[in-house]
Amino acid sequence: MEFATYKSDVWGREVIRGVSWDLLWLVVVAAFLIIAGHAIYEAAQKRGDKPSSDGARVTRHEMIDRVSHWLMAASMIALLITGIFPIIGIEFAWLELHWIAGILLTVIVVLHILRSILAKKLADMWISGGDLKEPFEESQKPGKYSLAQKSMHASVTVLTALVIVSGILMFMVIDSPWWERSNLLTEASLGWVFLIHGLSTLALVGVICMHIYFALRPEKLFYTRSMIKGWISKEELDANHDTERWTPDETS
Amino acid sequence: MASFDVMPDVQLYQPTELDDALNLAEKFGDSGWLVGGGQDTYGWLKDRAKNPQAMIELNGIEALHGIRETDDGIEIGATTKLREIIRDERITRDYSLLSDAAGRVASPQIRNVGTLGGNLSQDTRCWYYRRGLDCYRAGGNTCYANGPESMNREHAVLGASRCVAVSPSDTATALVALEAIMIATSVDGVREIPAEDFFVGPDTHITQMTALDANEVLTAVRIPSKWAGKRFYFEKVADRDVWDFALVSVAVAMSMDGDTISDSRFVCGGVACVPHRLTQVENAARGKSLSDESADAVAALASQGTKPLNYNHFKLPLMENLVRRAMRG
Repeated sequence: MEFATYKSDVWGREVIRGVSWDLLWLVVVAAFLIIAGHAIYEAAQKRGDKPSSDGARVTRHEMIDRVSHWLMAASMIALLITGIFPIIGIEFAWLELHWIAGILLTVIVVLHILRSILAKKLADMWISGGDLKEPFEESQKPGKYSLAQKSMHASVTVLTALVIVSGILMFMVIDSPWWERSNLLTEASLGWVFLIHGLSTLALVGVICMHIYFALRPEKLFYTRSMIKGWISKEELDANHDTERWTPDETS
Repeated sequence: MASFDVMPDVQLYQPTELDDALNLAEKFGDSGWLVGGGQDTYGWLKDRAKNPQAMIELNGIEALHGIRETDDGIEIGATTKLREIIRDERITRDYSLLSDAAGRVASPQIRNVGTLGGNLSQDTRCWYYRRGLDCYRAGGNTCYANGPESMNREHAVLGASRCVAVSPSDTATALVALEAIMIATSVDGVREIPAEDFFVGPDTHITQMTALDANEVLTAVRIPSKWAGKRFYFEKVADRDVWDFALVSVAVAMSMDGDTISDSRFVCGGVACVPHRLTQVENAARGKSLSDESADAVAALASQGTKPLNYNHFKLPLMENLVRRAMRG
């Protein structure tokens, strides 16, 4: 299985064309195996009762963050559908939909970064030394976000940055309503951009599969509910978080 | 790019039964190459720009040849030669738009061997693509014809999406105007595809010109009687009178109610990756008579929505003038 595909440029030199999309199946199969393995492992574990969602509630996600998350998710799904479906043989006029979704994602990401800076939320997602103890010490509870959640966020951040930057470069070499295509990049550089866009897309497919899987796991469903309704119960907070590291406001 | 005087090593199959051809098309898929008259085949192969594993020659299949009457019009076998179409009495009487278009294909020698199916299924003439460059259409990641310094005099002014190549077929415009149905056959069965949907643009299918799947054979073209005996107009503008592809062409079918146009189909060739319907012109022409005044009134609509490249702005007045000439009466 090839990692990249190659072509001859206009001068007959071999240059990278882009990613080998055969890797897509590798990513899908690998994600399926990891998910299946984890599901079997978890099914074999004896877990105590889930904390109740009744009683007092605390705020986990404000409305603006929830809207931002779901808009980001929608644009990401739209990008994956418009980008990958034609590759697997479901053909339609995808290009305009793809860059429109890409612009939407870019705007949301920029707003998300601005909000994180202005609302001083960057530290919430920063992976500290204390977080690294979590997998090894059962008594070590996370603050607002667990190491797994922070790692997921860090992966999505890096990969999204790569697809956005490479996507913007690719967007600049096709006609758009605002400019005519340019020869900004040499064929060799363009091949690298296509390769980075493709590889980060493939990695995102895997990461998003994991994200959706963990969001739907029974013991994690309260986090998904909090991304919809904004709250978790006080009991869920106490059972899963160190309230000295994260002290959320109570809500009704 | 290397150019050779000899053919590459390629398996040649010459089935005499349609089922055998369909099985071969199924077996080879993308690595097979269907051959009719071969006029868009041998150049590709000799230039080594396309390297099929097998050629499946269709000329020996009787069922694919000939012009037949149907309950509602005529059916033309895919391997029917263009010369036969030009000389067929029924076609020249009832569907002269097609015979006029076929009569402007290439040269007499090519029309003697070229088939209707081949003319419809031929690949684009973009010289960057045919040179063997790895452009979008060849599965690559760029278009050499749409750069700031590209030579794109013959390319699209409409419907481009990354690739700016145009459909080169003269008979395609006529068949879209006549609302023909393409019969695509495979081992899985028969598909009837309206001519307008048979030709596909780069926004959906950037590496192919038609809706044919790799295992399908274009077996026939059915022309319904709807436009039989109506008023037709075909004109093709090319750099040379013979052996050249259209810079712009127009195929028009008009249904007249007395002196006025009650219905019409205006189709432009050489301006987009598919035969381009001029629907605004059709709407504007309805209820008008054939005259210089009417022609002037609708002609400007022909080029609406166009987006010319560096070197093909000349196609816009050509489109307008061809529509004007069709409407003059």
